[in-house]
Amino acid sequence: MTTEKKTSLYDEHIKLNAKMVPFGGWIMPVQYEGIIKEHNATRSASGLFDVSHMGEVYIKGKQSLEFLESIVPQNLKELKEGQAIYCQLPNKEGGLIDDLIIYNAKNIINDIDYLIVINASRIDFDIPFMQKEAQNFDVEVIDKSSDFSMLALQGPNSQYIIEKMGININEQPEFFTFKKALLDNCPVFLTRTGYTGEDGFEIIFEHKYASKLWNKILSYKEEFGVVPVGLGARDTLRLEAGLPLYGHELNENTTPIESSLGFFIPKEKQADYNGKSLILGQKLNQIPLRRKLFAFIMEDRQIARNGYEVYIDNKKTGVVTSGAPSPTLGKNIGFCMIEFKNLPSDLVAKLNNTKESIGTQIQIMVRNKLYNATIVKKPFVRKNYKK
Amino acid sequence: MNIPDGILCSKTHEWVLEEDNCASIGLTDWAVEQLGDIVFIELPEIGSTFNKNEVFATVESVKAASEIYMPISGEIVEINEQLINSPELINDDAFAAWLVKVKPQDFQKDSEGLLEYDDYKDEVQ
Repeated sequence: MTTEKKTSLYDEHIKLNAKMVPFGGWIMPVQYEGIIKEHNATRSASGLFDVSHMGEVYIKGKQSLEFLESIVPQNLKELKEGQAIYCQLPNKEGGLIDDLIIYNAKNIINDIDYLIVINASRIDFDIPFMQKEAQNFDVEVIDKSSDFSMLALQGPNSQYIIEKMGININEQPEFFTFKKALLDNCPVFLTRTGYTGEDGFEIIFEHKYASKLWNKILSYKEEFGVVPVGLGARDTLRLEAGLPLYGHELNENTTPIESSLGFFIPKEKQADYNGKSLILGQKLNQIPLRRKLFAFIMEDRQIARNGYEVYIDNKKTGVVTSGAPSPTLGKNIGFCMIEFKNLPSDLVAKLNNTKESIGTQIQIMVRNKLYNATIVKKPFVRKNYKK
Repeated sequence: MNIPDGILCSKTHEWVLEEDNCASIGLTDWAVEQLGDIVFIELPEIGSTFNKNEVFATVESVKAASEIYMPISGEIVEINEQLINSPELINDDAFAAWLVKVKPQDFQKDSEGLLEYDDYKDEVQ
């Protein structure tokens, strides 16, 4: 029997009558009062998420920058102190081991050059991989995942809650930056990042402050409409925002270009990195894609779910990677991975062109029947970041 | 929520209420509570027949699709059309929101092994 790990906030979730489920080796709240209510509260007011299962990694040493540049496709030279960037961690074949956020922590965290936040389910893969890669550099990769709790506070009212807790609006970190701060007198790293498409924060701190911060934030329920939010709404929120989830849209056999993350891959980068020739070749249209991720909306009322088969012109050609009803749109939405092998070349050409692919009709197999869906532009719901 | 007299529950969380050789079938309050917000329901065609323990309908919450099993054998004589456009009625009152009405094949025999509501409650808690 495997025993799931509990976050520092486990007792708080139980007190709130949360429905608990196993996720990525942890026992986590999937919902408190209801997924739709939690979803809508995050879009209209503010939602508080326990994301303590996420992993944290410190990078320090003379060659920190050279090391990180060799493991992600992004240019990190321009990443200034306090800035953050969304990155991917490719393997040698260009598939993804994980996606992550890298923070330049110089002069913010003592003696540390970079902070990396990684997916809970990938900690056991990322750390050994990074430590092995680090052997060629004068650098240390330190797993800090057990040392921190983490909260996400997301939605338009989040900034006012943070203000009430001691950090004025004009002193709050800007989009994709972070700073050290005292939040209700607790020392935290406060970041302006998230996974919902809304303005908001992620807050990293020592376990001993977890209950105090959790309950303090929830005490603003009357004033700012903040509610606790579980993994259920976290999934529908990120799906509407068009954000990928590792193990669904991202995996070890698919490049970031194939997973439709081309926007985040720079065309030019001096340093070599794992998978560079394939990833860059695909980015520059010199190497054909093997498959590609698309966003779709169901035309019928049926809901597509992870693993359902995708058809084009009655021919099986892919699989749904995520699917759910969208509380914001009132329609059923999803992502699917379409395999280009065996498709006619004119269709592949159309699908390869992001603009032309929009409107393509596909079918999804739901309980042994095919239902119509249409490929659409992502995100499904406009992002509401404060930039 | 009113729990009708004479209701019987299956271990797969369906309820059945038989009156005048017609059986209403729905989901128990416990099952609905576990599912959360119900957003979609697929009901069978009138006139189709199902054996006891066969899948006859699907309900979907935000998170997942769940199959619903027949607590007895019989022929579908009516479906609750209202639920197709308003599946959330199941969340509002699990015992008012019957899914189908069935002409039982042999209610006496099939109801063996079904639990009275209080015993069912003890079982799931």
